[in-house]
Amino acid sequence: MLKIENLHAEIDGKEILKGLSLTANAGEVHAIMGPNGAGKSTLGYVLGGRPGYEVTSGSVTFDGVDLLELEAHERAAAGVFLGFQYPVEIPGVSNVQFLREALNAQRATRDEKALSGGEFLKLARAQADLLGMDYDMLKRPVNVGFSGGEKKRNEMVQMGIVNPKFAILDETDSGLDIDALRVVGDGINRIMRAPDKAVLLITHYQRLLDYVEPDFVHVLADGRIVRSGGKELAQQLESEGYVGIAA
Amino acid sequence: MLLDLPSTREESWRWGDPAAIAAAAGLPRGEALAGAWFLDLEGARAVFVDGVLDEGRSDLRHVAIAPLEGGEHVLGRRTTGNGWSLRVDANASAELIQIVHISTGGDNQLPAEIVLAGGAQASVVETYVGTGWSNRSTRITLGAGAKLTRAVRLLQASGFVSLRDEAEVGAGASLIVTVLGAGDAGTRIDGAITVSGDDAFAEYGGALLTRNAQKQECALSVRHAALNGQSKQIWRAVAADTSTASLAARVEVARDAQKTDGVQSLRGLLLKRTATVNLKPELEIFADDVKCAHGATVGELDQRALFYMQSRGIPHAKAQALLTRAFVGDAFAQIADETVRDAFVADADAWLEAALSAPLPLAGGAGGGASS
Ligand SMILES: Nc1ncnc2c1ncn2[C@@H]1O[C@H](COP(=O)(O)OP(=O)(O)O)[C@@H](O)[C@H]1O
Ligand SMILES: [Mg+2]
Repeated sequence: MLKIENLHAEIDGKEILKGLSLTANAGEVHAIMGPNGAGKSTLGYVLGGRPGYEVTSGSVTFDGVDLLELEAHERAAAGVFLGFQYPVEIPGVSNVQFLREALNAQRATRDEKALSGGEFLKLARAQADLLGMDYDMLKRPVNVGFSGGEKKRNEMVQMGIVNPKFAILDETDSGLDIDALRVVGDGINRIMRAPDKAVLLITHYQRLLDYVEPDFVHVLADGRIVRSGGKELAQQLESEGYVGIAA
Repeated sequence: MLLDLPSTREESWRWGDPAAIAAAAGLPRGEALAGAWFLDLEGARAVFVDGVLDEGRSDLRHVAIAPLEGGEHVLGRRTTGNGWSLRVDANASAELIQIVHISTGGDNQLPAEIVLAGGAQASVVETYVGTGWSNRSTRITLGAGAKLTRAVRLLQASGFVSLRDEAEVGAGASLIVTVLGAGDAGTRIDGAITVSGDDAFAEYGGALLTRNAQKQECALSVRHAALNGQSKQIWRAVAADTSTASLAARVEVARDAQKTDGVQSLRGLLLKRTATVNLKPELEIFADDVKCAHGATVGELDQRALFYMQSRGIPHAKAQALLTRAFVGDAFAQIADETVRDAFVADADAWLEAALSAPLPLAGGAGGGASS
């Protein structure tokens, strides 16, 4: 489904990704772990198409399409979802309006019919319920005044609404208490665990992986995947730290 | 035609564009634009074509045509002559009044007066369309406890619109004026508001949206001369292309105007780095027990928010439009009537679509999806 080959990317002329390769097939969950500053968020932004993140060489193919050729919004319409480590606040734009625009823009890009206001609200309400998000929060401006945990929950509500094929979730578990972690973990499984979907789960901690069991675990250090293994690798990292393993 | 216009050497005309006024006045007269400019609201209606009442399309009711003074102001004084007058008796409530000004070219001058006796209420919506130079003066006098709301839509496609407003706000009275500049004409708004009675409220704000090489500006002063007054000046300026939007807003608190509470918020948004927003906030406070919150900032759209929206599937131009609309929305919050507020939002949206989407190859995708 997603094939990253020898990816090099820089920000402001500084190389951050230094030859990263990774393949994720449909039906798989890949956990990406690694020390702070390794380039995990950078990988997410490059896949999402954030301006300023320049790919200098390598390739990314998504369902046979050159992902790097698509604009950010086209990537979303193609089925790529980026869950932000730090979701952005948008004063003056309500969650409902934002998500309806987003979903209908994706549908328009895919030549599908727009959802009516009623259809959309039904969908949004159902997803908010499943993630234990108060319906009133859907009417508030996007992420404004939300706690860290509420922002992450909101990311998952958004993911449920746009229902992507491929999700890159950047530290979705940080800032969550143990109950919220379970709700979010269940959400990821419900929305993304399917034979035709795949997930890149960026995390620091083993604890999310107790809820969302990865098929593969990769260690990203200094802009490269330095080690890959099964879910036991996450346990090993938790007990031994990155130092020995990433070296 | 020889016009005695102010010079940009004068401080209050520093950002002004008298040359654009002269050019607008020199545009040839033509046919009056046809169009449905009235909002779907009950009440009195007046259409002025080149400053002259079109009786066939008007239903004046309690509005009168009368000889009026334009005052001393350099542009306002030119309007002296026949104009429209709204006078409302004590404790009476006037129906909504809608006025459409259609200018076909050349220059046209029209004075107006709104006089509300104690406890009276009125609401006025004005819309400017067409081309040429439309010059207006409006003198507002609010008696004790009177309430006036006035909404002005500047939608002329070319030429120039200049407004001179002078208002006296009496004890416990409330004046709320909202102006939207969303046409392609040059604009000069001159406002002089005096809060002359105790416990009065004056709000004068709005949004100036400029594009291409257009210039719009507002020079406003609110003077507090009585106790316990409140005023708000909430302005948003959005400038695209090589255009210029300028706001000079002043709050003056006289020595005995204690307990004045003034809010001034001037914010500019540059849609391109080649555009200009000038902000000049001024506070002059002679009383000691006064609260005046003020802020003036110019910035660009939040790049992180733009990418966040794009990453959810919203095309760049649409994301810009949504963020800009949210930015402008602050300036319309005080419009109480939903139909009027919706009209302002729709005008601003139309402007945004033209200013943001049109030059982009993705116009089809960007315009997709109803936005209400
Ligand atoms: N906007 C930026 N400009 C310059 N360097 C950056 C920028 N953003 C991130 N970096 C650098 O890129 C490296 C990788 O950062 P990041 O991808 O956020 O790491 P991680 O998510 O693994 O903690 C770090 O050294 C960080 O300082
Ligand atoms: Mg990170």
